Amino acid sequence: MVDVPAGPAPARITDSAWRVRTRRGGELLMSLLKNPTTVAGLVFIVLLLGMAIFAPLIAEPNTPDAYQMPRDWGALAVPPGSPGHILGTTNVGGDVLYGVVWGARTSLRLSVIVVSLTVLIGVTVGSIAGFRGGKVDEILMRIVDVFLSIPELIFALAIAAVLGPSFRNIILALAVVFWVKYARIMRAQIIHVKENEYVDAARVIGDSPLRIYLKDILPNSITPVVVQATLDMGNIVLVGATLSFIGLSEAGIAEWGVLVSEGQSGISAGRWWSSTFPGMMVFLWALGFNLFGDGLRDVLDPKTESTR
Amino acid sequence: MTAPANTVVRTGRDGDDLLVAVRDLKKHFPIREGALQKVVGHIKAVDGVSFDIRRGETVGLVGESGCGKTTLGRVVSGLTEPTDGGVYFGLGGEERRKLDTLLEVQSPDRTDEQSEALSALDANHRVDVMVGDAFDHYRRNCQVVFQESFASLNPRQLIKDIVGRPLRVHREASGSDLTERVVELLEQVGLGRQHLFRYPHQFSGGQRQRISIARALALDPELVILDEPTSALDVSVQAQILNLLHELQQERNLAYLFITHDLSVVRHMADRIVVMYVGKVAEAGPTQTIFERPEHPYTDALLASSPDMKESAQDLQALEGAIPDPALPPQGCRFHTRCPVATPACGWEVDDIVRWLEDEEGMFDELRDVERKSPFEAALSFRSEDAANRLAAALRSDAVPDAMRSAIEDLNTTGTDTRIRFTAVDEVQLTLRSEDHVAACVLNRGTSTEPS
Ligand SMILES: Nc1ncnc2c1ncn2[C@@H]1O[C@H](COP(=O)(O)OP(=O)(O)OP(=O)(O)O)[C@@H](O)[C@H]1O
Ligand code: SF4
Ligand SMILES: [Mg+2]
Repeated sequence: MVDVPAGPAPARITDSAWRVRTRRGGELLMSLLKNPTTVAGLVFIVLLLGMAIFAPLIAEPNTPDAYQMPRDWGALAVPPGSPGHILGTTNVGGDVLYGVVWGARTSLRLSVIVVSLTVLIGVTVGSIAGFRGGKVDEILMRIVDVFLSIPELIFALAIAAVLGPSFRNIILALAVVFWVKYARIMRAQIIHVKENEYVDAARVIGDSPLRIYLKDILPNSITPVVVQATLDMGNIVLVGATLSFIGLSEAGIAEWGVLVSEGQSGISAGRWWSSTFPGMMVFLWALGFNLFGDGLRDVLDPKTESTR
Repeated sequence: MTAPANTVVRTGRDGDDLLVAVRDLKKHFPIREGALQKVVGHIKAVDGVSFDIRRGETVGLVGESGCGKTTLGRVVSGLTEPTDGGVYFGLGGEERRKLDTLLEVQSPDRTDEQSEALSALDANHRVDVMVGDAFDHYRRNCQVVFQESFASLNPRQLIKDIVGRPLRVHREASGSDLTERVVELLEQVGLGRQHLFRYPHQFSGGQRQRISIARALALDPELVILDEPTSALDVSVQAQILNLLHELQQERNLAYLFITHDLSVVRHMADRIVVMYVGKVAEAGPTQTIFERPEHPYTDALLASSPDMKESAQDLQALEGAIPDPALPPQGCRFHTRCPVATPACGWEVDDIVRWLEDEEGMFDELRDVERKSPFEAALSFRSEDAANRLAAALRSDAVPDAMRSAIEDLNTTGTDTRIRFTAVDEVQLTLRSEDHVAACVLNRGTSTEPS
């Protein structure tokens, strides 16, 4: 290690914080793109998100509620390729393409709401536990342990069943189940990160605890939360669809699990399309976020970062 | 010449140039055990330390690993609350005299008037209780450079934000003014404008330490605590950083509390040196005195183990033996377990026998129980009469150090028990050896001039 104080000034004197951060973001993206499975995940995500965002352009929204399947009583259970119904219709005349496209929106809504809620709750609880320590920490972590001891799907199922069948209750049930992981991750991160000398350095400067948390602790502990949130964007849709499949949300909404469930009875009669297309969407959604999340973990892993 | 136990032995001269006064400072960390986390003891990391730091001077704080240097530095910098005693910042000469007079009276004996006067001083000057402007003034004027330059810089912040942060927090600058101030600071530590928008990991260890120094200087402090600022660096880089620190001190009239385990590092830098051993000051005095006329055998040993001091090490012995556990510091003089010139008055105790027995497997395996009446008196029961008799015989022979043997007041064996009583001694206190020079050792070499 040679210490060269103020060597010849490199050309980029006109650097700005914004430029450096963009460059760093670019570097991160480049290293993500080196991994083909990550790229595959990203492609799925982009396609599915594109579908969700542009749903009104692909399939004209049903009125009055676009999240309700439109019914074509004149074309019950027609196969893919039928006029006006490229992917066919369900037993009750629901357009499968509409379900697939608007189902993407439903999934996006579900996963964004649940992930935001759970990250917010989990990060808050984990931060308090990790920061305060002592009794507060003990009590909070006892609760977390109880939650974690019950399998996610069964727990969510139980809650949704108690609350009664509706899509809103599925969102609630998933939020109740999924926050604990973030609390656990965040607490462990905080306990580790707050021991760093840059935290002491900030205290010596006289910065406030809140700003130390926001500038020093949070940015350095959030990475595993981001990775977990990416994975959960997929997992939540999977679990949500499962709950819908077993009948815990309203019938007739544009939701992949509901559609799979509705089409199920027709499979033995050879009417595969009504279940298969939405089922594939659930699979691709979960796969996309899991592949991308794994790639993100590899790139963001703090261990590889500190050895640079 | 021995000072009474409650006297604050000062190593600074009187005067108005006082910056920091550390008074009988203690930091004990609880040791917790079991499922209930019960406190089973205390690590006495800092156990009654007093010294002064004057404006513009460097105080070298030296000692082996684990003797409490970092803990002491953290308490002085306000990062850790003391268990007892205090760090006083910004006392005038008059106030300091008043403080020391007040502290000479133990708290239960203080009159109401004295307690009130002390609280008034505390509120304005004791760093763990002061608030408002006094605290703000202290916070600006006492900064730290940590040992690990990587760990002390937030990896997600740009250099501009790291170095500019103190200015922003204290609302001294913002916008382009802030950038210019940061550039100025970077230039003072040998970096420049081209480094503004980089992350810490893009620098070498020496450069990162320069960044830490720039941050510490941003608020133009009066005191910088340097906790082993060079020990993580290559030797060639060490010298550069030391030179930089020296230049900055000249320019800005900075005071340094320079923490290191290596005396040679502070030899050319420090005006005065405080030698710590297991949480206490063993010796303190002007650098030249410490190097030329050390009064404490522990200082001798440190001098002998210091890399570039070899040629001057006449008959100095390097240190042997384990560092004592700071949770159970030795009696009398804490150094007596390792001191090559220990005397019978140095605090020999039951633990010394137990430690000695640990190396005598034959007898140690036979040892069943040690029943203590005091640190100096105990009955050791063995499984066999033979072992008990062998111990007694060994303690009368030269199998044990002469000094230890001479400190035994009473030794007898009944059956499988050996009873031992050492002469009880008080903790060895610091005494004045020459001007501004104190040492905690029962020996007096008399090489120094008589105390004034
Ligand atoms: N936060 C803490 N909790 C418990 N014990 C501590 C804590 N900090 C320090 N100690 C203990 O206090 C003693 C002194 O530690 P300290 O770090 O101050 O020593 P040091 O002189 O700086 O050593 P080194 O040269 O290794 O840095 C050690 O026994 C250490 O284990
Ligand atoms: S008092 Fe002096 S001689 Fe005795 S053990 Fe301590 S250092 Fe050695
Ligand atoms: Mg240390």
